[in-house]
Amino acid sequence: MVGSLTESGFVFDQPRTLTTTLVDTFDGRLHRAGLRLELRTSAGIELVLSGDDVVPAHLSVDVVPRVVTDLAPGPFRSRIASLIDIRALLPQVRVRMERSVGLLRDGSGKTVAIAELYEHVHIVDRPDIDRFTTIEIHEVPGYAKQARRARRVLQGVGLEECELHTLAQCAAAADVDLAGFKATATVPLEADMAALDGIRAVLVNLEVAISANWQGAIDETDTKFLHDLRIALRRTRTVLAASKSVIPAEVLDPAREGLAWLARATGAARDLDVYLLEWKGYTDPLGVGAAVSLEPVRDVLVQHCADAHHELGHALRSERATALMTEWRRWLGEPVGSDGLPPRADDPLGKAVARRIDRAHRRLIDQGRLIGPDTPADDVHDLRKDAKKLRYLIECFSSMLPGRPRKRYVKQLKALQTNLGEHQDAEVHISLLRSLTPALVSADANAMVAVGELIQRLEQTRVAARAEFAERFADYDSPTTQRSFDALIEAIAT
Amino acid sequence: MKVLASYSIKGGVGKTTTAVNLAQQAAASGSRVLLWDLDPQGAATFFVRVKPSVKGGADRLVSTTGSLAANIHATNDPAVHIVPADFSLRHLDLALDDTKHPTRRLAALLEPIADRYDVALLDCAPGITLTSEAVFGAADALIVPTIPTTLSERTLDQLTSFLSEHPPAPMVLPFVSMFDRRKRLQRDIVEHLMADVVGFLPTAIPNASVIEQMNIHRSPIADFAPKSPAAMAYQHLWADIAARIWS
Repeated sequence: MVGSLTESGFVFDQPRTLTTTLVDTFDGRLHRAGLRLELRTSAGIELVLSGDDVVPAHLSVDVVPRVVTDLAPGPFRSRIASLIDIRALLPQVRVRMERSVGLLRDGSGKTVAIAELYEHVHIVDRPDIDRFTTIEIHEVPGYAKQARRARRVLQGVGLEECELHTLAQCAAAADVDLAGFKATATVPLEADMAALDGIRAVLVNLEVAISANWQGAIDETDTKFLHDLRIALRRTRTVLAASKSVIPAEVLDPAREGLAWLARATGAARDLDVYLLEWKGYTDPLGVGAAVSLEPVRDVLVQHCADAHHELGHALRSERATALMTEWRRWLGEPVGSDGLPPRADDPLGKAVARRIDRAHRRLIDQGRLIGPDTPADDVHDLRKDAKKLRYLIECFSSMLPGRPRKRYVKQLKALQTNLGEHQDAEVHISLLRSLTPALVSADANAMVAVGELIQRLEQTRVAARAEFAERFADYDSPTTQRSFDALIEAIAT
Repeated sequence: MKVLASYSIKGGVGKTTTAVNLAQQAAASGSRVLLWDLDPQGAATFFVRVKPSVKGGADRLVSTTGSLAANIHATNDPAVHIVPADFSLRHLDLALDDTKHPTRRLAALLEPIADRYDVALLDCAPGITLTSEAVFGAADALIVPTIPTTLSERTLDQLTSFLSEHPPAPMVLPFVSMFDRRKRLQRDIVEHLMADVVGFLPTAIPNASVIEQMNIHRSPIADFAPKSPAAMAYQHLWADIAARIWS
């Protein structure tokens, strides 16, 4: 094969051993953006960011980056950061091969086509997968003809064209889905299916998300694992809370109790994660001096966060958690008999869900109307929880809800939730800062002053969010939103 | 995409060698680079071994139907592409003058390809012309090679005065080019430039024969003399620029 290209003018260099690892986030963000990030370790560490019809970028690094902030500031980092944000870069498939590069040059020495020959390609630690050889022809912009000609030469010697690039072939051989794990709240549902069947299908899907994020939350691979674990837990709890007359009590009650415990066990670590993620946004507006003075506070938060994650890991590895999830999976995996089922288990799913969503919506309206300027913060927080539960119900059963009214309705609900979220985050962070004050007695006076400034700033955010609540809630509690809601419910209730 | 222009009113100060070597250094630091040769002499095009040809010439390039994408060629560095120059660019001022918004035309041509590259490096012809104004309208920063002579400093003053009178102006990043450390006068001028001129980049590019050898090798210095002081100086110069642009 090389001979045919050599005869066409390609000059190949000597084969060199190349070990390359395709890295991406857990949810395949680079792959979804049409990019592939390789970590090459043949001579030093080199990152190669490429893709189909994408100009490749190369960067030599001293250490293998785990998160984007491990890279030096610059365009390479900015480009990746805009896609992966806080997610960790994880190895997808590690491949070793003999690589030689063939260049076709024109009369002035300009490269006009590139051939990359990969021989003895094999996946590291997978001796069960056969080695193979592949050759890639790369078109050089401005010289399309030469690449086409090279492809024809290879076809002429009987080679078959493959749509996947070499690393994608390796990933496919190793059963690695480069699209990564993407949690969805809902699954295909029909309004006339039995309520228990529909609800179980949703719960199975949520359990997949819980399991997928479990180990990453323990290992602290990145903060999104814990976030997604908590979302899946909350959605599960919301669906369970709405299934009292559908799921047998002997299953429902221990599951609700156990999942409530798990949710509590994950709370402190997530609150501190959020605080640290928001830290820069909180402190930057205070100025460089204050940000420096607040470093001891951040150190304390980092320590608290580490402690909280330690506790979390302990809880997730505990016998109680293992038994809970084993029992939960067992029920989800087994067929359910028809004996002894609660009265509404066989009701049409649409009607059952419509009833629950309607109840949650009315509760939110009723409770929201009671909120005034002097309402205690705890009541505002309860309203936020009500809004979240309603949103989760809609998300989990969205596949049978009509798209347009759902989107219109969720937009208003989301606006209300954003406002309630800003208020609650500020409330939690103020209270956390106050609780840290005793730990800062040894810090200098500047730190204490800066903490005061930060609390004041958070207090302003909290007050502003509270002042805005009436307007946000009025938008939600409006005839327009009600019309969207009615259309949403009507579609599945009848 | 950040648009940087290797620019000076004065000729023979090392604009093209700066553009070509910085393009290479930017690529080595993880950037996808588009080098745009705006000088009809086409020296940058020559250095990367691409045929000097602009489809339809300068008139078509800057016309409403013109596009940079149609003129892009790869270089021997996979991360560096070039829009080559040809001799028709000697009429670029006239061609721009025929467009509706001449000083915004180069920026408009770059806009559709902004997602494909991290850095566009414009190699400009000397002088202060309508094309220069279009470059100022497109560039985030002007990289200004300044040889350590009194005349060079004077042209830098002319440039900064012009820009201050024609806002919004790009960032000006002057640096010392073709520095001969053996000459006392040059050492004194460099010392003065670094100390007294705001924004002067700390790296000076030496006046080295290896830079002239680019004509023979037809490639950036790092390709044929990667450990040479000149190659290292361009590496540091790019680090200086990147720190200012992406800090």
